[in-house]
Amino acid sequence: MSFFDFSTIPWYQWLILGIVPPLIFLLYFLKLRRSPLQVPSTFLWTRTIEDMHVNSIWQRLRNNLLMLLQLLAVLLLALSCLRPGCRSEELAGDRFIFVIDQSASMSAKDLSSKKSRLEEAKARVKETIDRMTGSDAAMLISFSDRAIVQQSYTTNRSLLKRKVDLIQQTERSSDITEALTAASGLANPGRTSDRESQIDMQVAEGRDAILKIYSDGGVKEVPRFSFGKLTAEYFPIGALELPANVGVTAFSLNDQLESDGQIEVFARLQNSGLEATKVDVSLYVDNELFDARADVDIPGLGSTSVSFDLSGLAGRVEQSIPIRIQIDSPDVYSQDDQAFCVLNPPRLSNILVVNDDPKYLQLAAKTDRVSKLAKVQFETTDFLEQPEYEKQTTLGFFDLVIFDQCAPQTMPACNTVFWGALPVDGRWSKSGRTDVTPIVDVNNAHALMHAVQMTTVHVLSSDLIEGPNGSVSLVDSVEGSVMMLAPRSGFLDLVIGFPLIDYNASGDASVNTDWPRKLGFPIFMQNLFNALGGQSQFAQSFSRKPGQLLNFRARLPYPEISVTSPDGQAETVQARADNAYVFGNTEDSGIYEIRPSGNQEIDQLIAVNLLDRRESNLAVAEKIELGYVEIEGTRSRVPARREFWPWIVMLVIVVLMIEWLIYNRRVLI
Amino acid sequence: MPDTNAPSNSIDNLLPPSLLAKLDRMELVSRKIFRGRMKGERRSTRKGQSVEFADFRNYVPGDDLRFVDWNMYARLDKLFLKLFLEEEDLHFYTLIDVSESMSFGTPSKLHYAKQLAAALGYIGLCRSDRIKIEPLDPVTAPAAPVLRGRGQVWRMIEYLNQLGASSNVPLADSVRNFCSRNTGKGVLVLITDLMDKSGYADALKYLVARNLDIYVIHVLSQEEIDPDLTGDLKLVDCEDDDFTEISVSQRLLDRYRGTLATFIEQARDFCSRRGIVYTMTSTERSVDRLVSRYLRQRGLVR
Repeated sequence: MSFFDFSTIPWYQWLILGIVPPLIFLLYFLKLRRSPLQVPSTFLWTRTIEDMHVNSIWQRLRNNLLMLLQLLAVLLLALSCLRPGCRSEELAGDRFIFVIDQSASMSAKDLSSKKSRLEEAKARVKETIDRMTGSDAAMLISFSDRAIVQQSYTTNRSLLKRKVDLIQQTERSSDITEALTAASGLANPGRTSDRESQIDMQVAEGRDAILKIYSDGGVKEVPRFSFGKLTAEYFPIGALELPANVGVTAFSLNDQLESDGQIEVFARLQNSGLEATKVDVSLYVDNELFDARADVDIPGLGSTSVSFDLSGLAGRVEQSIPIRIQIDSPDVYSQDDQAFCVLNPPRLSNILVVNDDPKYLQLAAKTDRVSKLAKVQFETTDFLEQPEYEKQTTLGFFDLVIFDQCAPQTMPACNTVFWGALPVDGRWSKSGRTDVTPIVDVNNAHALMHAVQMTTVHVLSSDLIEGPNGSVSLVDSVEGSVMMLAPRSGFLDLVIGFPLIDYNASGDASVNTDWPRKLGFPIFMQNLFNALGGQSQFAQSFSRKPGQLLNFRARLPYPEISVTSPDGQAETVQARADNAYVFGNTEDSGIYEIRPSGNQEIDQLIAVNLLDRRESNLAVAEKIELGYVEIEGTRSRVPARREFWPWIVMLVIVVLMIEWLIYNRRVLI
Repeated sequence: MPDTNAPSNSIDNLLPPSLLAKLDRMELVSRKIFRGRMKGERRSTRKGQSVEFADFRNYVPGDDLRFVDWNMYARLDKLFLKLFLEEEDLHFYTLIDVSESMSFGTPSKLHYAKQLAAALGYIGLCRSDRIKIEPLDPVTAPAAPVLRGRGQVWRMIEYLNQLGASSNVPLADSVRNFCSRNTGKGVLVLITDLMDKSGYADALKYLVARNLDIYVIHVLSQEEIDPDLTGDLKLVDCEDDDFTEISVSQRLLDRYRGTLATFIEQARDFCSRRGIVYTMTSTERSVDRLVSRYLRQRGLVR
């Protein structure tokens, strides 16, 4: 590295620049062509000039001050062309990909400069951009739980820096995978940078690029990733010493149905610092201080939980109430110092069961648990013909309709279960019929089949079901699926191939399965009412993450609703065909208020929380593992080349201004 | 160089009526009492025939018996002669510098000098003084008439209008020429810009040697007092084509003003040491104001 850089302009331009000072010098010493002016007498002027020309080199200097200033300006310009700078290292490579972490943990202000980690990362990227030479190209990607290509490859450094400035702090979690995919797709043709696309359009030849990751390292693991032509460098951003931080990593209300009217709120406080600490915690209900805990002990690198009893509110909850927990002791990361949840008034699901022999289902619906969850209405198949059915299913009165061996004329606007029958929308079909088939596979991972044992269940005969695209098989027999779930424009249709009671041609009933006698049956029914009955949506509290889409239904099917964000901005959302609403602008954590349009009454509240232990842990990873490569962090900050030429050019402007002033104001020769 | 600001043949150009009214009430004053040539309106050192009594003296044979004081003879039995003061005219010379440098300024310095000479001459003519206005150009200028009496005003104006800036003769030579031709005593007003590279000292010394009552009126144009120049200039002297190159700057202008102030101070000092009354005036100052205020203060008129 040298102080001067002679390569900024080619040699012939240096030559031209070198000629300028002697030229100015010559011009000044050439006889100046003066305009003649007749005067009464030169007598006094001669005397004046004689006085001024008496002596001294200073007089000469003063006489040629303008020339000296012009020479100075040219010399300074030449100096600025030398691009003086210091403390720089050559930036190897000519293509760079800057990846900046903008996740929630980057808002921590643990640096000695009191800047947030994101600000520090941005400053470092800008310094590196300054070190790029004219032909270097770079692209800019920011990531949280998703990646945004802020700027594709460009050599325009000021544009890059502007785009760096535009990167904003988010309250999202960290997932670098998408950013790596985008970067890799551009560096390695043959891979796509668009995850949705199966076809990669090779628009440019793959070239080596240097991937510079500016993050605190708190990112999700990237299990399968190879860098190809990318060379990754990781710059850990954050304090060397682990900063003390206490954050809320879990916050929820208990299940009121489970606990018999007792309402409790739980919070888990995590200390990501090394030393044990004490914090004060306050609980706000409906924005008023409700309860507080002083000096809650949290061990170093450990966590503790606090709970507050809200039973006093039981029975008085008539509308949704926002609840907020707040850690009153300030720390470097304020994002996790508060969390939100919503206490909703209890609401029963409306479920319609249509069958002619409701015995088993009535039994299953009579459990304590189900009676707390839902109001189940039993009707015979004749009800399907009545206008009341038409009205209630069209308006979305029911959350779930179970058709037991029957089917309606049109599909209702709600979730459905078809037991021993097929939906009438023509998307479903029977691929055959099986007799005395053992159940071979149950999809217990699905909420509907959670904790439902079916291996001991016997089924005498069942239809084999073929569902539309997107169907999920929940129960498989040897020959095929006997229970399938498929979406239908926002609703879910569950089709079960085997009825509980089979009727032969003469109308005699026979038991088709012993499932209702098994323990799994009431659990399945409970899951059914929970998952398809919409109860999960109206449960006491459920929280979304910032940036996540809010997909919800209102209590009544309003054509449009207004969503007020925590920052007070209201946005109108139109209802979709299935009377659901989708709201995407959930960047801030807090309580989102949902009102029918033009109505001040709150329909419901939705809490958005990060509650991410990884984000709350402010430890800066010294290395990150991306795919098969472990990348060591470069802690030592490579200072950017400190450029002096802009200052010199400013000085030139000042010199020229002085010269102009002297020339015009005739202050001095 | 011809005087571009030459006045028309009108008395108004040199002596506006408003000025005439004021001048009528003034008279020229001499600090010294000189002998005039003709009977005039001012007292002389000589005893003469005015009505104003001066002294007595003893009768000597041959004296005019009309002046014997018979009353004294009756009382003292001695013959005394009554002496009366003689009233004489005043020799008033005005020398106008007609070098080319006098043609500069707005109005030109020459025009200003003519106005001043006309005003002073008018005062003199009104008081029956002997007026002689002479350009300092021994070669080309028309012979200067000697004027006396109010009736000669037109002649004086006519003569002044003939004068133009033409001469480049050194001031000293012109003055010496004047002195050699004019031997009378009296009051002399020299109207000049003193811009003579050979100096003004010799010229003034000649005049002092003539024992005249001398007034120097130093006329400068506004362009000389506060030059409005910019840029790089080659200043050409209108009299001898000498040139000086300057790059105008604030500092140079300041220095010029300093030089001018020194020059004026030196001239004033030179004059006061030799009993010459020095007055510096700008062409922007009106002749009316100069005569009625400044020259009255300096005792030339009253």
